[in-house]
Amino acid sequence: MSSAEVVFDDVSKFYGDVLGVNRVSLRILPGITSLVGPNGSGKTTLMNLMTGLIRPDRGTILVRGLPPSDPERLMRITGYATQYDAAPRGATGFEFVATGLELYGYSRAEAARLAWAALERVGMTDAANRKVAGYSKGMRQRVRLAQAIAHDPEVLVLDEPLNGLDPLVRAETIQLFREFAARGRHVILSSHVLQEVDVISDQVILIANGMIAAEGQIRNVREEIREHPSQFLIRCRNAAGAAAALFGLDHVTEIRLNDDRSGLLVMTHRGDDLSRVLTQLALQGHEIESVIPVDENVDAVYQYLIGGQS
Amino acid sequence: MAVYKRGYQRYQGPLTTHAARVMAFPRFAWRRLLNQRLVLIALIVSLIWPLLCLGYIYLANNLDLLKTMGGVAPVFKVDGHFFLVFMNVQAVFATLLAALAGPGLVAPDLANGALPLYFSRPISRLDYAVARLAVLGGMLSLITWVPGLILILMQCGMAGWSWIRPNWSMAAGLLAGFVLWVLLVSMVALACSAYVRMRLIAGGLVLGFFFVLAGMEQVLNQVLRTNWATLLNPTRSSYFIWSGLLGVETPEGPGVRECALALAGMIALLAWILERKLRPVEVVA
Repeated sequence: MSSAEVVFDDVSKFYGDVLGVNRVSLRILPGITSLVGPNGSGKTTLMNLMTGLIRPDRGTILVRGLPPSDPERLMRITGYATQYDAAPRGATGFEFVATGLELYGYSRAEAARLAWAALERVGMTDAANRKVAGYSKGMRQRVRLAQAIAHDPEVLVLDEPLNGLDPLVRAETIQLFREFAARGRHVILSSHVLQEVDVISDQVILIANGMIAAEGQIRNVREEIREHPSQFLIRCRNAAGAAAALFGLDHVTEIRLNDDRSGLLVMTHRGDDLSRVLTQLALQGHEIESVIPVDENVDAVYQYLIGGQS
Repeated sequence: MAVYKRGYQRYQGPLTTHAARVMAFPRFAWRRLLNQRLVLIALIVSLIWPLLCLGYIYLANNLDLLKTMGGVAPVFKVDGHFFLVFMNVQAVFATLLAALAGPGLVAPDLANGALPLYFSRPISRLDYAVARLAVLGGMLSLITWVPGLILILMQCGMAGWSWIRPNWSMAAGLLAGFVLWVLLVSMVALACSAYVRMRLIAGGLVLGFFFVLAGMEQVLNQVLRTNWATLLNPTRSSYFIWSGLLGVETPEGPGVRECALALAGMIALLAWILERKLRPVEVVA
């Protein structure tokens, strides 16, 4: 087991009679990992468990080799931004970040330097000396992110970090996540915006009712969902001809012709075989313009695995 | 590809001590509290009585001055009774100040969900509670044992050895008595702040705690024809303890040890209440 992983081993957490998460086993590699699931599915519980804010009822957790029961060491490598407006009343953005750094043990001068650097990274230097209470939702989100990254953590845990951000800042924030991940660190975030998760994540963890529904790269996860045939949208000149050729294949379950007769939706249990057949059709003279997997994304996977439960 | 093996260098510079880290909370909170007009006014008003007491000590040690001014020198005595009165008055101000400043300490953190943020730093729940206690403790010290010790020092300086020799233990008694009161009042304020998120109501609850228990004491003592219900009243119990510590005759009722045990029990109960509430995650089951 590498010490550069976040590992959950058979972890369960109950809040009295209420299930938090149940028998979760995970290995999260460095990179961007998204926790996806409906409200109350256990995403925040997982985050609280890995940051040591709550203790598991059973199982063990290791964050880059450190147990959450050792906050003195764990919190030095971990940055956490909750989904709440947590700034003390009357604090400016700078004070919020700098005071937080003092809690890590940085001297006041060092804390001030790091706080400015973090605020600069999230584009908040202009508003740094204004009170957080007067910030917009997006600005609060950014200052929360600043306090999480200010001490340059190896593991960044972010609860709904993209909520309330305008498109430009959202893009910049995603870029920041990518830079973190490219330097071999963990960026573990939860999000409800599935399209975004799809674009930014190296791996996705789907969670429902406190249990892991799926984990891994979206494409791999999709391939594992065998009860739902994969859907491909094929654009070609002679859609009817292509449909006729594909209809005889035993792994193709359904074909729908587009109204414009220049495209067809194919549902198959074996995507690789379909690709091979399409290559042969192209060689035989069928003008195939594009083959697009329709349900190889978080949205579809979410629907297949969790849709009915939320 | 093992991208995580790229050179990552964590901060290697010196870190402050654990105590210094924890003190980041009070430093910020004091600054914020002193910016509140009501708190500042209460703090200033609370220092009027110590100033008057300073004047009293000065006059007590300069009776000749009064005589030369043509007045009749009254009997000025600086003894245990004097300091007991001083403690009683300052204890009232301390309670009022705690009711004003205390509710804003924990309630906003709970309302804003700030505890997960604090506890995802290398500090514990105990550190947080101690830090919040230090905010109130520090502020209340300014109007309790600090001016109290200044008064004693001034009396020592002016009266000389003849006063110090028989009264030296009064300083320790005053310090211990005030520390106990400050701890109790601060714990009450923090517990109220942790349970009631509206500051005004929490402040009222702090005062209510003392009034209700005082009322209960009266009723129970009357109905049961006893004086042991005094143990329920922290104000009265403290008075008994202070009397004992300052060498003043204690009123009829439970002994100093019993009163101290009762207060210790109350503080333990308040600590338990805080322990239940100061959690990073609120459990709604």
